[in-house]
Amino acid sequence: MPGLGFDNYKRNQYLADHGVPMPTATSTGTTIVGCRFNGGVVIAADTRATAGDIVADKNCEKLHRISPNIWCAGAGTAADTEMVTQLESSNVELHALSTGRQPRVVAVLTHLKQHLFKYQGHIGAYLIVAGVDPTGPKLFSIHAHGSTDVGFYLSLGSGSMAAMAVLESRWKKDLTKEEAMQLCADAIESGIWNDLGSGSNVDMCVMEQDKPAKMYRNYRKPNERAQKEKSYRFPRGTTAVLAQSVRSLVDVIETTPQSMEVDA
Amino acid sequence: MAGKDCIAIACDLRLGMQSVGVSSNFEKIFEYDSVYLGLTGLATDVITLSEEFRMKHNMYKMREERRMEPDTFANLVSSSLYEKRFGPYFVGPIVAGLNSKTGKPFICGFDLIGAIDFAKDFIVAGTATDQLYGMCESLWEPDLEPEDLFETISQALLNAQDRDALSGWGAVVYIITKDKVVKRLLKTRQD
Amino acid sequence: MEILEAQSTASSQPIEHRFNPYSDNGGTILGIAGEDYALIAGDTRHTTGYSINSRYEPKVFDVGDNLVVSANGFAADGNALVDAIKNRVEWYHHAHNKPLKVQSLARQIQHLLYRKRFFPYYVHTILAGLDDEGKGAIYSYDPVGSYEREQCRAGGAAASLIMPFLDNQVYFKNQFDPATQQYRVRSYLPIDDAIKIVRDAFSSATERHIHVGDGLEVLIVTKAGIEKRYFPLKRD
Repeated sequence: MPGLGFDNYKRNQYLADHGVPMPTATSTGTTIVGCRFNGGVVIAADTRATAGDIVADKNCEKLHRISPNIWCAGAGTAADTEMVTQLESSNVELHALSTGRQPRVVAVLTHLKQHLFKYQGHIGAYLIVAGVDPTGPKLFSIHAHGSTDVGFYLSLGSGSMAAMAVLESRWKKDLTKEEAMQLCADAIESGIWNDLGSGSNVDMCVMEQDKPAKMYRNYRKPNERAQKEKSYRFPRGTTAVLAQSVRSLVDVIETTPQSMEVDA
Repeated sequence: MAGKDCIAIACDLRLGMQSVGVSSNFEKIFEYDSVYLGLTGLATDVITLSEEFRMKHNMYKMREERRMEPDTFANLVSSSLYEKRFGPYFVGPIVAGLNSKTGKPFICGFDLIGAIDFAKDFIVAGTATDQLYGMCESLWEPDLEPEDLFETISQALLNAQDRDALSGWGAVVYIITKDKVVKRLLKTRQD
Repeated sequence: MEILEAQSTASSQPIEHRFNPYSDNGGTILGIAGEDYALIAGDTRHTTGYSINSRYEPKVFDVGDNLVVSANGFAADGNALVDAIKNRVEWYHHAHNKPLKVQSLARQIQHLLYRKRFFPYYVHTILAGLDDEGKGAIYSYDPVGSYEREQCRAGGAAASLIMPFLDNQVYFKNQFDPATQQYRVRSYLPIDDAIKIVRDAFSSATERHIHVGDGLEVLIVTKAGIEKRYFPLKRD
């Protein structure tokens, strides 16, 4: 695959200067958190993707697998978090194959930050990287410009304040796995209720030393839509049709039923 | 829109330059065997991309000697759009199709740089997205039969485009089931 | 954490400071008129940006004389306008000693809005009441007082989501009746049907618009008076 192309850049600039509105890219408004516990690390995210004031996706996946034991939660521009994470996933696989070693979180972190720094923040990916490798459980965050942080508990995205309020008030040293999961889910819920950019469900991923990472898709679903008051099914024929054409995808074979000759 | 073992995809027929209508016969839905692609946005990009996907789709068929599944096509669209991350095509694509192995409905949408929106219910794109979201969110219900799905998607599109100055001038709907595809031209307001 | 702060450019050119008197507090309203009733529904969420200021801040008001008003958009302007309207109703009583008719208040509101033509109330206004024949009436306004009597209207953040749905379900737009070979014509909706449509319109808007949610308050005008009903909405 060739690199990122700038072919349409000048044209788009011209179009923008002449008043053609730029379509809005979906951003994952987002609350994402990560938290370490005794023997592992857990990350969690909400599932709302927005395009301006409109909810584009009510149940999107913001937890990305980089390798079986390294996962990444993404906030910012939806396409960037997805693509940068897929690219890293493929590079990590190749690296693991060529070195014959388990992939390490610090390697992922370094590689991602160098990539993002190279693009000077134009790739709008804000990530929480977590995982377990032969050196133990690890938890980091990366900003779009390439800066990184280390922490026992982290939050990112438009709901990071709401989530951090929960983390700051309840986090303590030596959490158990269950306590960490509860804390992360509650932090995400805080974002879901109090931040308009976040909403719908809680996704979670738990990574423990010497165990396969476990992904909990829709770990909590506190926002299922209630039954509507009325069904809006229309009587057939409600829409006026001017013309119709049919494309048949199967050959209809006419078979005439034949009486069977049965010998006694 | 997804229904019970069926899907429907619909578009208006207007092509315009801002407020001036230019054509009332500009279809925005393209067929790639049994995969359907809706492409809204800048007309030049709609044509360029539809042809590029035609080429890539044919190359895949020749190399792999099999048909392309809708989810594969979706990933092709996504990576093609992201290739132009910093000089994007101005489009809003939608992919719809039935999986040839499982027969399961597949629909998804994208933003202009290829972020995929997998949905179980419906996907909208174009200048009337707000109106379409309002219509679809209230009219759609699960497991609609093909004929009921046709009414629902048609009413959603018709009423949405009537509240958008840049949409309208006719509409077409495809209803896709495992053994046939029905294409209908709708009667619409022409203002 | 900003590690590298860009140096502010040398103060060779003057810096212009500006005060923006307006903000957007989200929310959506909706009015429907029936044979013998008129209603205005509004969500109760009050927002700025990505924050919720209140989950219950009513914005549909009883202004007296069996009339209901809501002004959605910039909440401070909306409240100021509703206060001005209430004031007008009161002073009408002092001057004329009789109830104010809906069409008269409708014209009064136009004047209230237009007198601020060059510094407008940043709101979409809807008025509901019963006309001289006892039929439901909805009047809707743009920010500077252009108005129209209608059978239904949505206003505010999610107006573009709700309005086509209303066209379809209240005016029966685009609905063809195969039996008569004619398009369906509009008629008055029974109150129970109208409430159902209102609730579904708002629950749908809540699903797709981030500034809509928390609660739905409906004020229903009938000749018996004004009834207030509340329905919860999703809070995410």
